[in-house]
Amino acid sequence: MAAPGRRTVGWGRWFCTAAAPRPWRLFGAMCLLRLPRITQPLEKEEEEMAALMGQIELEKSHYSDHEIRRLEEEEQLRRRKESMYDDDDEAPGKTVIMAQDLEDKWEQKLLRFKAAPRITDADKNNNRTSLNRKLDSNLMLLVKQKLGNQELWLLPQVEWQPGETLRSTAERAMATFLGDHIQAKILGNAPYGIYKYKFPRAIRTEDNVGAKVFFFKAFLQSSDFSQAELKEDYLWVTKDELGDYLKSEYLKKVNRFLLDL
Amino acid sequence: MRRLPQSSSFSSFIPFLCVAVVFWKAIVAGGSGGLLVLCLRKGALLKQVFALSRAATPRESCLCAAGDALVSCHRHYRSHPTHGIGKFKYLLPKESPKKRKDKVQMKEINVGTEYEYGDVNIQMTSYDMCLVEHFAQYVHKLCNRLSIRVNESYAMPTKTNEVLFLEERGSKMQVDAVLTTHQRVVQISGLSSTFAPILLEIIQSNQPEGVHLLVKEHTEADFKSRLKSRPELEELLAQMN
Repeated sequence: MAAPGRRTVGWGRWFCTAAAPRPWRLFGAMCLLRLPRITQPLEKEEEEMAALMGQIELEKSHYSDHEIRRLEEEEQLRRRKESMYDDDDEAPGKTVIMAQDLEDKWEQKLLRFKAAPRITDADKNNNRTSLNRKLDSNLMLLVKQKLGNQELWLLPQVEWQPGETLRSTAERAMATFLGDHIQAKILGNAPYGIYKYKFPRAIRTEDNVGAKVFFFKAFLQSSDFSQAELKEDYLWVTKDELGDYLKSEYLKKVNRFLLDL
Repeated sequence: MRRLPQSSSFSSFIPFLCVAVVFWKAIVAGGSGGLLVLCLRKGALLKQVFALSRAATPRESCLCAAGDALVSCHRHYRSHPTHGIGKFKYLLPKESPKKRKDKVQMKEINVGTEYEYGDVNIQMTSYDMCLVEHFAQYVHKLCNRLSIRVNESYAMPTKTNEVLFLEERGSKMQVDAVLTTHQRVVQISGLSSTFAPILLEIIQSNQPEGVHLLVKEHTEADFKSRLKSRPELEELLAQMN
């Protein structure tokens, strides 16, 4: 196992100096995130503040063109009613659309519009395999993998092969579990976190002390992809639900790089 | 003669007296030959003095009324030792006169062992002006907090789109809506490649609904798009060539 040709900045640098075969096995894992589609609901104080600010702005603001036009037309109507057809300058042939009519038309249009529901069906069923759940928070992909003789829930990971960068290892991990047509964007070349563990004594040898897993983050670009490609069990979970599936040590390292805004 | 207002009679009296005394002395020194002229001149003098005092009184009265202690009429003359004591402009560094044309290229090297991005533009576009402005402010303040140098923070000109509604079984297009697109740009530099993904993730997660975010490197084309083209100048140049 010669030293690899090219290393990414930061994390892997201190590997280059070791010439002897390293006892650690390297894995690249991918944390695939689906970004939230809608904003989180406001807190009570935020809502009150927003209402107050809206009212202040409304009181301080000036009339817009449309409102001025509407007021003028109301004035004209009133004057015309009082002084019956005294000022007949407008040619009766011209049809004038009043501002009030426009407003009524818009009101009708608004009533016909139906917004999509914020709480989807998947939320109600708590179907953790669907992507339509929890539209206001980040969703992460968890896959059931076999390590040694244990079946564990992990972020998809694959062993590093000499000659490739860790980032491409992570991309390969994603491709193996989800297929090639994934539109996910990785932002940088540096990993976000590392989890180191030693094998149990039975398997441990001189050359194979343990494994190091490097985490990378990717953002899902398109919301719909053929999920039929997934062979093993998979789940899309939020940060809070990670605790149900991951082991505590692993969870601690993973939580360090997860932004939950 | 118009009666002066009662409240300012005292304050007007003193300058009136002083001025009157000065002029009176001058007239007396002139000699008795100018007695006739004296009367005329006195009349003129009175008018002059009155004009002076009339000018003095409203100013003084409003000063007294305002009660502003800092604004005083006692500025020292050039012979007074403390003349010009409050001046400070000569102590400030000289401002160089502004050049007409702004030179562009400030690109840094992108390739190297320490990866660092050159000028990066964060462009935010939306139909809602308040939202995009607030988001631009937020991004600017975030960069300040994270000690990222912000070169510029500017707005691109607003684009107005008219949405015309074509009725079914009709040929006339009606104006349905007028949409204005607003764009704000925050230009940063000195972003290290290890920190860039984190910053992008923060901005992405805080993106409000309805705002389109675009992060790209600054190019000359971006700079040129801010300047207005001058067709007459271009025509003349083309004619010359």
